[in-house]
Amino acid sequence: MSVPQLVIPFGGADWLALAPTFIVAVVALVVILADLFLPRPLRRAACIVIAIAGLAGSGVVALQGWGHPYAAFGGAFVDGGFAIVFEEIVVVAAILSLLLCYVLGRDDQSGGAIALMLWSASGAMLMAGAANLMTIFLGLELLSLALYCLCGIASRPAARESALKYLMLSSTASAFMLYGMALLFGATGSVALSALAGPTISTALFNVGCGLFLMGLCFKLSLVPFHVWTPDVYEGAPLPVTAFMSVVTKAGALAVLARFAYAALPSPHAQQILLPLWIVAALSMIVGNVGALAQNDIKRLLAYSGIAQIGYIVAALAGTTALGLRYAIFYLGAYMFMNLGAFAVVALLSRERDEGSRLGSFNGLGYRQPVLAAAMTFFLLALAGLPPTAGFTGKILILASAISAGYAWLAALLVVGTAISAYAYFKIVRAMYARTTGAAIQRPFRPASALPWLGVAVCAVATLVLGLYPIAPSDVLPLVK
Amino acid sequence: MIAALVVAPILAGLALLLLPRSADVAAKWIGVAVSFAAFLVALSRYGAADESVRWLQRPFVANFHVGIGTGPSYWIVLLLTLTSGCALMVTRLPRMRDFVVQMLVLLGAMTGVFVARDLMLFALFWDLMLIPVFLTLIAWSPSKTAGTAWKYFVYNLVGGLALLLATAAFGILQGTTDVLGATAGAFATSGGWSFWIFAGFALAFLIKTPVWPLHTWMPDTYADLPAPMAAIVSAVQSKAGLYGFIVVGLALFPAAMHAAVPLMFALGLIGLIYGAVAALVQDDTKRVVAYSSLSHLGLIVLAIFSFNPIALGGAVVYIVAHGLFSAGLFMTLGEVEAREDTRMLGRLGGLGARNPRLAGGLTIVSLAALGLPGLCGFAGEILILTGLYQAGYVWQTIVALVPIVIAAAYMLRVFQGVMHGPEVDDLPEREDMSPLELLALAPLVIAIVLLGVNPGPVASSPHSYETALR
Repeated sequence: MSVPQLVIPFGGADWLALAPTFIVAVVALVVILADLFLPRPLRRAACIVIAIAGLAGSGVVALQGWGHPYAAFGGAFVDGGFAIVFEEIVVVAAILSLLLCYVLGRDDQSGGAIALMLWSASGAMLMAGAANLMTIFLGLELLSLALYCLCGIASRPAARESALKYLMLSSTASAFMLYGMALLFGATGSVALSALAGPTISTALFNVGCGLFLMGLCFKLSLVPFHVWTPDVYEGAPLPVTAFMSVVTKAGALAVLARFAYAALPSPHAQQILLPLWIVAALSMIVGNVGALAQNDIKRLLAYSGIAQIGYIVAALAGTTALGLRYAIFYLGAYMFMNLGAFAVVALLSRERDEGSRLGSFNGLGYRQPVLAAAMTFFLLALAGLPPTAGFTGKILILASAISAGYAWLAALLVVGTAISAYAYFKIVRAMYARTTGAAIQRPFRPASALPWLGVAVCAVATLVLGLYPIAPSDVLPLVK
Repeated sequence: MIAALVVAPILAGLALLLLPRSADVAAKWIGVAVSFAAFLVALSRYGAADESVRWLQRPFVANFHVGIGTGPSYWIVLLLTLTSGCALMVTRLPRMRDFVVQMLVLLGAMTGVFVARDLMLFALFWDLMLIPVFLTLIAWSPSKTAGTAWKYFVYNLVGGLALLLATAAFGILQGTTDVLGATAGAFATSGGWSFWIFAGFALAFLIKTPVWPLHTWMPDTYADLPAPMAAIVSAVQSKAGLYGFIVVGLALFPAAMHAAVPLMFALGLIGLIYGAVAALVQDDTKRVVAYSSLSHLGLIVLAIFSFNPIALGGAVVYIVAHGLFSAGLFMTLGEVEAREDTRMLGRLGGLGARNPRLAGGLTIVSLAALGLPGLCGFAGEILILTGLYQAGYVWQTIVALVPIVIAAAYMLRVFQGVMHGPEVDDLPEREDMSPLELLALAPLVIAIVLLGVNPGPVASSPHSYETALR
């Protein structure tokens, strides 16, 4: 084992690797300042514009690193294809969530909320490249702390319950994870993920550490049986925050999970250590979809749906094949668009003090707003894995990768889960197109802002195009140097 | 141009959503125009070259590969575009614009199923064609609950997912899914995994056809769908499963197909007899046609699994023939229902006196359905039965003859119950078929006669798959 260096020379390249993360964090400060000094009517619009511009800039900067993998800060943050793809996913998800911000609380709360979302996103972006245990924890806590506040931002009792629940359970999970990290450090004497890959390490200490670490991650990914918090928190949090959480936390945690599974585990034992993870994925696919059946609130339904969808994504990693990783990333991207598209539709149906997420607010939508209903149907088709959407193509790719990795049982369960989920999604379709009473059809359509239409359009086009031209990023391996 | 046959109807359908809601009549005629234009284009594409664009490179090769060829695809696409044009002509429904949208999307998706030359593309359209039928069942079904819609959806989705899983597994096994219509036998698989993959395909095909005992969604669906859509679903969508057995089963899984012969013969024969007997006792005229389909399609299953070239040719003829006369039956019975506000045999009666043209139309399609020589039904049946006998299935041929006799009984029962007998006083008296309605039925009647007189081109069309039979 090499002696740790006390003075590590960090050059410009190290800072450049972290630049996308820093940009987002600094733009959050600008948002707060703008919120302080701009006149009240302009505030929300200005904050959204600044935030989106900052995120877009960060996305562009992140792309500059493509093709130049670099282990910054002595390997603490590994920039490269994998990190960039996840950073872009976080950036796009954050932008799409920001488009929904007109339903977020009062005008004077929105600046702070948007800043918190940006900080949270920067945490997820840190996790995207984090290659040692310290950076992982740093990113995770940055992501989570901002979210605790965001969950409670609405002035409803459910929001406070949501925030408190998330705080308590998530801190517990973080504690588990931290303990796991401590054990891993004890077993290997290093916090670098690459140091865990030594071929001889398979002590009880190491295994328990891995288990605790993965449990913490499973909680963040809301995989069954660590999913119980998800529906309640999603329901209580304001709509844009729910939309944000549903993709960004998962992207961050998935990046860590993939890096850990692909890079850090000693290969002879990796499949045994990871087997529980595939079982957990299988459970998520079934339990998530069964849970979704009974939901009458779209946010809760999408929470359960997200549990199942993340199960599909983790199933793609089964066998830790190179193709599996690419398809997991592809499906995550597809999930981002179809899921956020559905959230954007809900945002358009929202009015003050009524988030439009009840199933009832969709009644007769096919006759009131045919285009919006068609878009929602399209997103639900995608979530259910039906053509011609990215969900369909993504699911075939996951099935293929699971089968070729020798996990045919996982593929079969994925199909079973999909069959169950169809009822949950098409219940909404039915509400939109079934012949309803005149009262429901007369319900006026007055969205708080036209901005979510942009989100609907972008997501619909992306969901269609990704289905017909699936771009699964290459160059995502290796994950550690 | 073949790709346009798939994409154009779907895009045209979605574009109709931009029309104002009041533009019902315009929407209908746009739908008719699109369908007949598709018919003419398809007609001119006999033997046209395939079109292909790369879709996936990894984990297996998949292409947007469509082709119409000269085989079953060609004839079924002609059938599809023709029946959907005719059915749209006589559509009279509330919210017609929205209905035409569903019809056109369904037209495009079903065309896609029959022209796909890539298994993954086939699976895509297979699942896609569920959606318009589900939406139509939800929005136009006469029942308050959506039970029928869910039944249709769940059954067919399970089939579709089995197909999807099998497709993915096939792709991994062979490295490509671009295999339909390739040199027969080039991708034939046998042993181990291939049995399970075939089982996945077979489940999807059996549900879609449907074959007893997976048929329970069908009578409800046909009864609840508006007549124009019931016509094309029964005429064409139900053929997707049989078509699948021909182009996927025979070409890619010959060994598994041979192994499945006893089971499929059993299911086919049971369906054949059960459907006929059930059709005999239904009160609802649409359900009579639904159960008769179960019976007729059972015969086609026997034909496909007999591995006899004559029976296979007969199967394709009967696929098209059944499409023609079942579409005709649903259309004429739909017109009866539109006139009298009921389709129950117990209520109807004596319409023939005041509606001679309607009676004439129903006569021709009923006679085609019961297998009168000279009309299309007979042409298919005689080829299938000859082929079955030649293949050595003697007693099965004799059993298969029985339902054909019963078919005469239930078809005539429907005709008699609707048209003959004393006039029922409290039924509304409406006009006879309008020239437009006659015009809509005419192409089907012409095709019924043409195919009955000269089934040769259709019967010899599965030539390209024949090598897979030996």
